[in-house]
Amino acid sequence: MDIGPYVLQLFSGLSRAMVLFLLSAGLSLIFGVMNILNFAHATLWLLSGYITFSIFQFLGEQFGASPWLLLPAILSATSLMALIGFALERFLIRRTYDRELPEQLLLTFALVLIVGDLIKLIWGVENRRINLGVEPVEMLDTLINPYHFVIVGSGVAVAAGLWFFLHRTRFGKIVRAAVYNRNMVSALGIRIPIIYALVFAAGVALAGFAGGVFLPLLPMALGVDHDVIVQCFAVVVIGGFGSMLGTFVASIIVGVVYSFSILFWPDGALAMIFLIVIVVLIWRPWGLFGTELRY
Amino acid sequence: MISAVSAPDVRRGALARHSLSVPVAILMFVLFLLVPLLPGEFWTHVSTEVLILGLFAMSFNLLYGYMGQISFGHAAFFGVGAYASAMVFTRLKAAGGGIGMLDFLLSLLAGPPLAAVAALIVGFFCVRLTGIYFAMLTLAFGELLFYIVFSWYSFTKGDDGIQGLLPPLYFQDAVHFYYLTLAIVTLALLAMWRITESPFGYIMRTLRDNQRRAAFLGINVRLHMLINFVIAGSFAGLAGALWGPFSRSVNPGLLGWQESGVAVFMTLIGGAGSFVGPMLGSVIYTLLQAVVKMYTVYWPLTIGTIILLIVLFMPGGVLGLIEKRIKARRERDAGGREA
Repeated sequence: MDIGPYVLQLFSGLSRAMVLFLLSAGLSLIFGVMNILNFAHATLWLLSGYITFSIFQFLGEQFGASPWLLLPAILSATSLMALIGFALERFLIRRTYDRELPEQLLLTFALVLIVGDLIKLIWGVENRRINLGVEPVEMLDTLINPYHFVIVGSGVAVAAGLWFFLHRTRFGKIVRAAVYNRNMVSALGIRIPIIYALVFAAGVALAGFAGGVFLPLLPMALGVDHDVIVQCFAVVVIGGFGSMLGTFVASIIVGVVYSFSILFWPDGALAMIFLIVIVVLIWRPWGLFGTELRY
Repeated sequence: MISAVSAPDVRRGALARHSLSVPVAILMFVLFLLVPLLPGEFWTHVSTEVLILGLFAMSFNLLYGYMGQISFGHAAFFGVGAYASAMVFTRLKAAGGGIGMLDFLLSLLAGPPLAAVAALIVGFFCVRLTGIYFAMLTLAFGELLFYIVFSWYSFTKGDDGIQGLLPPLYFQDAVHFYYLTLAIVTLALLAMWRITESPFGYIMRTLRDNQRRAAFLGINVRLHMLINFVIAGSFAGLAGALWGPFSRSVNPGLLGWQESGVAVFMTLIGGAGSFVGPMLGSVIYTLLQAVVKMYTVYWPLTIGTIILLIVLFMPGGVLGLIEKRIKARRERDAGGREA
């Protein structure tokens, strides 16, 4: 049996899963801590992709093109996105904490439209892609772009880092406590507004990182964010709001199911994902790894 | 039991509380009647769109403003209605060699029942959840239906959509089609008004304000939510059925979540708390879109900024703001007299 196509789909599925994880981890954290469902998360991811592209191009002009320039480009774009996230929380999101859910959704939805159109205004309608020019390696009957390993590696590294941060550091423990009971954390004398701003900034930075890392694999195009955000919602719902482990597992489920569905039913790949979401929501509305407590 | 809930005794909740609905509705109806007097077909065309999308948004508000649940998949029923009507339309056209007046009206009637069936199936699952979970499940069902329509090429023609939905010659005239739309939408809104002001409508408000209390009063919460879901889906299907002959085509985008977002926008711009709020929102949204698109391609940026400002400074929408002003003035006058 020729396993080549399956291996290829497995790797592209895992890469997709890692990007979904990086996005959904931030989404889930932001929702868990401040109950805000950030519709604009994928749009900020897209913005970071374009920013990374421009920085990469700028560095290439200054120092001569080299694939290694992607590293500083991603790092600077990630920091920039953290700043943008911090500013968004301070100036916009903060004003809606005491509002009803639809109004919060509407605010972040407005950001989808605004940021999406700003991207169009600044970068135009052409797709942006970085071609690193690395040779594919032959393994298991197929040719694989070694960059897949970079993506999967960085995804797993970030997941491990997040776990360490949330479980082994003081700030991480405060964040986890805030997911369970914000008022109690606040009553213990911890300044919750700062926590909110930092969590939002960190979530957006994760999305920014994912945008840069993904760039050599798939082109950044206007409107992609609209598809990606609903897939992130799917991941967060399947895994359970606020659960990091759930988000990680659900990302792999969604990414791998998606890429294997493409093999058998190309147009229905996303339909499969929403079918899973529906089943999970009906069977366990709090998600595979969430707790009934928060539901 | 149900009739024991008499309308005036029920405290009006935070959302549906405006008394402006009737005068605003009458004023809007008169203005709508006069639209074709404007020179050129452009404004008549835009007003037809206002009416259809306004009906769609008002059907959404049955779920949001009255029942207190936000649906992100409501466009699915708009789309199902549009596709059902378009398919009946093309079948009748192929069978008869052309489209007669009766065939055309029959095709319009096909929209609501099929949308109702879709809403019954989807709603059966969705009414088990509330809040963010309700929103997510409606989103997931909406996207599922979107991808089914998108990828089932042999049945729905996939992303090509269905073209050539040219109504009979009489209704190809923009003014005639406009008055047909106005008549249908007006009848639909009268029916909707009747429903929201009935004991059933007040049960909806109770479910919005406190589901647990409603359950203790002996109200079958899920059944009532499901009935309302089906009603809202049917009206969305009617709006969808009108959309096909209006735009001469249907496409899978009509079912997508961005289209659901349009209903949410309109409702929150106009004011979810009032019956005619979403229609007013449609007037503002659609007219603005028509005008802004004449000058710039950056329509999303414009509407995004407007929504941002509304959320930050005008919670309750346009009607909510006006209502608040009137109330403040009355209270000031009353205070002055007492002093």
